[in-house]
Amino acid sequence: MNRDELQEKILTILTVDFEFSQPGLDDNLRDDHGFDSIDAIELLGKIEVILGITLTREEKEKAMEIRTINDVLDYIEAIDSSRHR
Amino acid sequence: MRKDLLSDFLVTILCWAWFTLGFLVFFSWRYVGAALFARETETSIQRLSSRFYQVLFRIIRVAAPNHRWEIDEEVGAIRSAVIVCNHLSYLDPLLLIALLERHRTIVKTRFFKMPVFGWVIKKAGYLPASGNGEFSGMMIDQLESMKDFLQRGGNLFIFPEGTRSRDGKIGNLRRGALKIARLCHAPVYVLRLANTDKLFMPGKFLFNTRIKNTISLKIIDRIQPACQHTTPSTARLEQRVLQAYSELAK
Repeated sequence: MNRDELQEKILTILTVDFEFSQPGLDDNLRDDHGFDSIDAIELLGKIEVILGITLTREEKEKAMEIRTINDVLDYIEAIDSSRHR
Repeated sequence: MRKDLLSDFLVTILCWAWFTLGFLVFFSWRYVGAALFARETETSIQRLSSRFYQVLFRIIRVAAPNHRWEIDEEVGAIRSAVIVCNHLSYLDPLLLIALLERHRTIVKTRFFKMPVFGWVIKKAGYLPASGNGEFSGMMIDQLESMKDFLQRGGNLFIFPEGTRSRDGKIGNLRRGALKIARLCHAPVYVLRLANTDKLFMPGKFLFNTRIKNTISLKIIDRIQPACQHTTPSTARLEQRVLQAYSELAK
């Protein structure tokens, strides 16, 4: 899956499941959309489904530092590429 | 000291004596035993905390008889639910812990750093209010085990205003509890607590034992996710909670 496809999937999840209104790729998820740790855990579950993998505890802890949608995309790409090395 | 203030002073001292000496003499060793030997440490610690605060409220009831208590019996029977309640006094979380033996709640992160108390709430499975930095691992653990905890009869209670109301009105709600309810497909119980602030007022050190007062706790709404065709959105849940409180205020 390329970055554009991934971006479309993530934006769909954020608007449908997390009720985001017009999310921007560099919006601060917490300040602009009220995205918190609970949402992060829910999103990680959806990322596991997208990638078809189970994230490790270390990978999940790293996700808690995510601030923007671009960070989410970078995070997914990094996980995906580390699994396919 | 005036006679009426003496009563406030004595009740306050009695409660603090239970908090400190009562904990040391009757409970500290039980907590250590639960942490070391219990098959389910979290459940045992929650039960101990519940019993500890049950005694505190017995003391208050006896020592401050001007305050009547009307606690809906159904509250203690709630299982497998996310419970949201308005917040008036520091007594509120203690009351819910006393009533709900299997419970978790969300606690400000700074409390986890306190000696003894921090250890107890960590062992009890309470959630930090923020999952940033050093608390990310704890937040992940507690949220990932939440569905199982709720399915096994536990309750998560939260004061969604995040702070005590100074005027009795419902403030802005934080959505964390409702997000967890949605995530775990758990029912939401909306509770209305009244007049605990008359007994232990925000900003005061002494209990006020002198006034005639009725403290009440009632279930004012139940939101069952099973009744919905789809899981209700967090916004919808928030709207329903606010509606329950506003209808009561009419």
